Amino acid sequence: MVNENLVKDVVKEPYKYGFVTDIETEKIAKGLNEDIIRLISQKKEEPKFLLDFRLKAFKKWQKMKEPDWAGLGYKKIDYQDIIYYSAPKQKEKISSLDEVDPKLLETFDKLGIPLTEQKKLTNVAVDAVFDSVSIATTFREELAEHGVIFCSISEAVKNHADLIEKYLGTVVPASDNYFAALNSAVFSDGSFVYIPKGVICPMDLSSYFRINSGDSGQFERTLIIAEESSSVSYLEGCTAPMFDTNTLHAAVVELIALDDASIKYSTVQNWYAGDEEGIGGIFNFVTKRGKCLGKRSKISWSQVETGSAITWKYPSCLLLGEESVGEFYSVALTNNLQQADTGTKMIHIGPKTKSTIVSKGISAGNSKNSYRGLVKMGTKATGSRNYSQCDSMLIGDQASANTFPYIKSQQSNSEIEHEASTCRISEDQLFYLQSRGIEFEEAVSMMVSGFCRDVFNQLPMEFAAEADKLLSLKLEGSVG
Amino acid sequence: MEIIEKIKTNKSSNNLTEIQKICLDKLQASPLPNPKSEQWRLSDKSKFSNFLNYSFKEKNPKFNAPFPHTSQRTIRLVIGDNSQINLVEKNYSIKQLSEYKLVNYIKEQISCFDQNENWSDLLNLSLNCTKNTLGLKINGSEIPPIEIFSHASSNSLNAKTLVIFLEKNCAIDLLQVNLGKENSSLSQSTFFCLEENSSVNHGVVSYGENKSNLLNSLNVIQQNNSEYNLGSLHFKFNYARFEIRIKQSEGKAKTNIKGMQITKKDEQISTFTKIDFNGPNGFLDQINKSLADDKSHAIFEGSIIVPKIAQKTDASQLSRNLLLSNFAQIDTKPQLEIIADDVKCKHGATISQLNEEELFYMRTRGITLTEASKLQLSSYIQEIISFIPVSKDRWDLLDKLLNEN
Repeated sequence: MVNENLVKDVVKEPYKYGFVTDIETEKIAKGLNEDIIRLISQKKEEPKFLLDFRLKAFKKWQKMKEPDWAGLGYKKIDYQDIIYYSAPKQKEKISSLDEVDPKLLETFDKLGIPLTEQKKLTNVAVDAVFDSVSIATTFREELAEHGVIFCSISEAVKNHADLIEKYLGTVVPASDNYFAALNSAVFSDGSFVYIPKGVICPMDLSSYFRINSGDSGQFERTLIIAEESSSVSYLEGCTAPMFDTNTLHAAVVELIALDDASIKYSTVQNWYAGDEEGIGGIFNFVTKRGKCLGKRSKISWSQVETGSAITWKYPSCLLLGEESVGEFYSVALTNNLQQADTGTKMIHIGPKTKSTIVSKGISAGNSKNSYRGLVKMGTKATGSRNYSQCDSMLIGDQASANTFPYIKSQQSNSEIEHEASTCRISEDQLFYLQSRGIEFEEAVSMMVSGFCRDVFNQLPMEFAAEADKLLSLKLEGSVG
Repeated sequence: MEIIEKIKTNKSSNNLTEIQKICLDKLQASPLPNPKSEQWRLSDKSKFSNFLNYSFKEKNPKFNAPFPHTSQRTIRLVIGDNSQINLVEKNYSIKQLSEYKLVNYIKEQISCFDQNENWSDLLNLSLNCTKNTLGLKINGSEIPPIEIFSHASSNSLNAKTLVIFLEKNCAIDLLQVNLGKENSSLSQSTFFCLEENSSVNHGVVSYGENKSNLLNSLNVIQQNNSEYNLGSLHFKFNYARFEIRIKQSEGKAKTNIKGMQITKKDEQISTFTKIDFNGPNGFLDQINKSLADDKSHAIFEGSIIVPKIAQKTDASQLSRNLLLSNFAQIDTKPQLEIIADDVKCKHGATISQLNEEELFYMRTRGITLTEASKLQLSSYIQEIISFIPVSKDRWDLLDKLLNEN
C-alpha cells in the first residue's frame, strides 16, 4: 500500500516566485467609473477611438452580470476595491534597456527571464509586463529586419493605430462576456504582434506577466495578427507574489490567422495559487480566442495551468476558413483548494475544418478540476472533423474531477468523436517502479509526466522541460 | 402559471388530494422550467408550451393495443383501467399497493425532489389523482412477463403514474408502452424500487402519432445487489422528453441502459439521464443512440455522479449519434462528476453519418442505396431493440421503424 503521508510530504514545494519587488509605483485611486477609464486612457495618451471603445465596453459591462454557471465557489469580488492602473515609476522615455530600473531587471532575472540582451542565448524575444505596463521588449531590431512588429500594445496604439483599430475587439467583442467587457474597459497593457505576409518569425516570441502589487488587478490584452503564409510561435508565462488577498487577473487574448498562416500560442500559467487553507491567490478569468479567418490557417493552443486560486479559461478557435485547423492541448493541475474550470471551444464554421482537443486534468488535495468544452459543427462545415480526448487523474479521495463536453452538430457530413476517462495513480505501476529502486516521489512524478506526455510534446522546447519540472514540484506532497 | 390555474379551476381545491396540493405548492414556487437550468436549456420552448396547451382530461378513452394479446403467459395492465389487481399464484404474487402506502411512498419521493430536475414529476403528480395511478408490489419467482400500457386521448393532456415495488430476490421482465394520440400530451411518471437481489429487464417503448407530445420521467432506486436493465425507444413525437434518474442507494448494484431516440420531420426528442452512485462497487454500462433526420432535433444529456463514498465504481457511458440530414441537429453532453479516486469511469460521444464505404460496398454487390441504408440502419437500431424485453417476439419494432413513412 502507498504510504499516504509520505506522498503528501512529497508534494509540498513552496511557491518560489512569491517575493515582492520593493519599487516605487504610480497607482491611481481604487474604484471603477468613467473618470477612471478616461484617466487610464489619458495616461496612455490614447487616440479617441480607443477611449470610445473603452467607454462603450464599460457601459456594456455595467449592464452585465457576473457569470455563475461554472459553479466556482469564491467570495464576491468588489470591483470598486481594485486599483485599475499601477505602474513602476521610471524615467519618461526609455531608449534602451540600460535605462530600465535595475530593480525591475533584477526581478525578471530572479524569475529566470533574461531581459538584458547579452544574456540572451535562448533566441527568444521577450516582452515583460510588470503590473499594468510593459517594461521592456527585447530583440526588437532583429525582428524589425523581418518586418515583424513585437511591442507592447500601448506602443502599438501609438505607432500602428490603423492595425489596432482594424483588429481590436474583432475576435473577442467587448460584449462577449463579463470579464472580457471589464478588460476592454480598463486594459492597461499587453503585447502586440504583427507578422507580415510570407514571414516565418525567426525566433519564438514571449510575454512575461508579473503582478507585483497586491491591490491592483491585472488586465492585459494581447493581439496577434499573422498575415498570409506567415507563422509564429508565442509563449506566455505568469507569476505573482504571495499575498493574503485575492488579486484579479482578467486578460483577453485575440489571435487572427489569415490564409495559410499559423499561430502557436503556449502558456505556462503559474500565478500564486493561495496557501493550503485557500487564503490568497489569483483569480484568473481569461478570455482567449483565435480566429482562423484564412484558408488552411491554423491556430494551436497549448497550456499548462498550475497556478491561480480560481481559473476560468477557455481558449477557443473559430474555424472560418476552408480547411483551417484548430488545436488545443492542455494540462491543468489543481492542488489544495484550487479550482479550475477550463477547456476549449471549437466552432467549425467553414468546410473541411479540423480540430483536435487533448486535455489532461490532475486534481489533488481538496481541489476541483473541471473540463468544459464545446464542439460545434455549423451547417456549412461539410467534411469537418473533430477529435477530443479528456483524461482526468485523481490523487487522493478529496479532489474532484468533472467533465462537461457540449457537442452540437448541424452538419450530417461531419464527424465528431469525444472520449473521456478517469483514473488514478496505479498502485501496481508505483510498486513496480519502486521495486526497481526508483524513489517514491520520482515514481509519482514519472507517472504524472507520462500521463501528460501527449500535451508536453506539443510545447516548445523552452517550456517542455519547465512544465515537467513545474508539475512534479506542484504535486509534491499530495499523492496518495 | 396558467397551467396551475388550469388544474385548480379543473377541480375545486377541496377535491384535491394531499399529494396534488403539495405538488401545486411546489409548482407555484417555480411555475415553468427555467431555460437557464441545464436540463431545460435545449428544450424547444414553443414545442414545450404546446405540450401544456391541451386541457387536462382524467377520463380514459378506449384502449387499442398496438399488438395483439395472444400469449396467455403475459400479464397485461392498462393504467387508468385497472380493476382490482390481485394475482396470487403458487410462485408469485402481484398486488396492488394500498392507497395509504402509495401516498406515503410518493410523499417520501417528493421530499427529495429538486424543483428544476423533477419538474415533470411535479406536474404529473399535481395533475393526477389516484385514478390514473397504478401501484404494484411484486414478489416471488417465475413471474410471467408484464406489459403496462399508458395511453393518451386526442386533444387533451393526460397524466399517468406508475409505482412498482420489486421485493427481494424477485426477477421480472416488464414492458412499458406509452402511446401518444394525435394532438395530445401525455405525462408519464414512473417510480421503481428494486429491493436487494432483485432484477428487472425493463423495456420502455414510446411512440406517438401526428403532433403528440410526451413527458416521460423514470425514477429508479436500486438497493444492494439489484440489477436494472433498461432498453428504451422513443419515436414519432412532436415533442418528447425522457428523463431517467437512477440512484444506487447503497452501491453494489448493476445498471445497464440501452436507449434510442429517432426523430424525423421537425420533431424534438431528448433524453436526460442522471446516475447517482451512493455507495461503493456500483456498475453502469450505458449507451444512448440518436437518429436525426429531416429538420428534427435529438438531444442527449447524461450525467454520472460519483461521490467520495462510491469507491470502486465502474461506469461507462457512450453516446452514438447519426445525423441523416443537413437540416437536422444533434446535441449531446455526456458528463462525469467524480470525487472518489479509486474508480473506473469513462464516457464517449460520436456524431457521424452512415458509413459511405459500407454503402459503396453493398451497392457494388447490387444492393440499391435505399436498401443498403436500411441494412446499415437496422444493424444500428438492432442493438437497442434486442435489449427491450417482451416486445421482441410479439411486436416487430424494427420493421415498424424502417418501413414506416
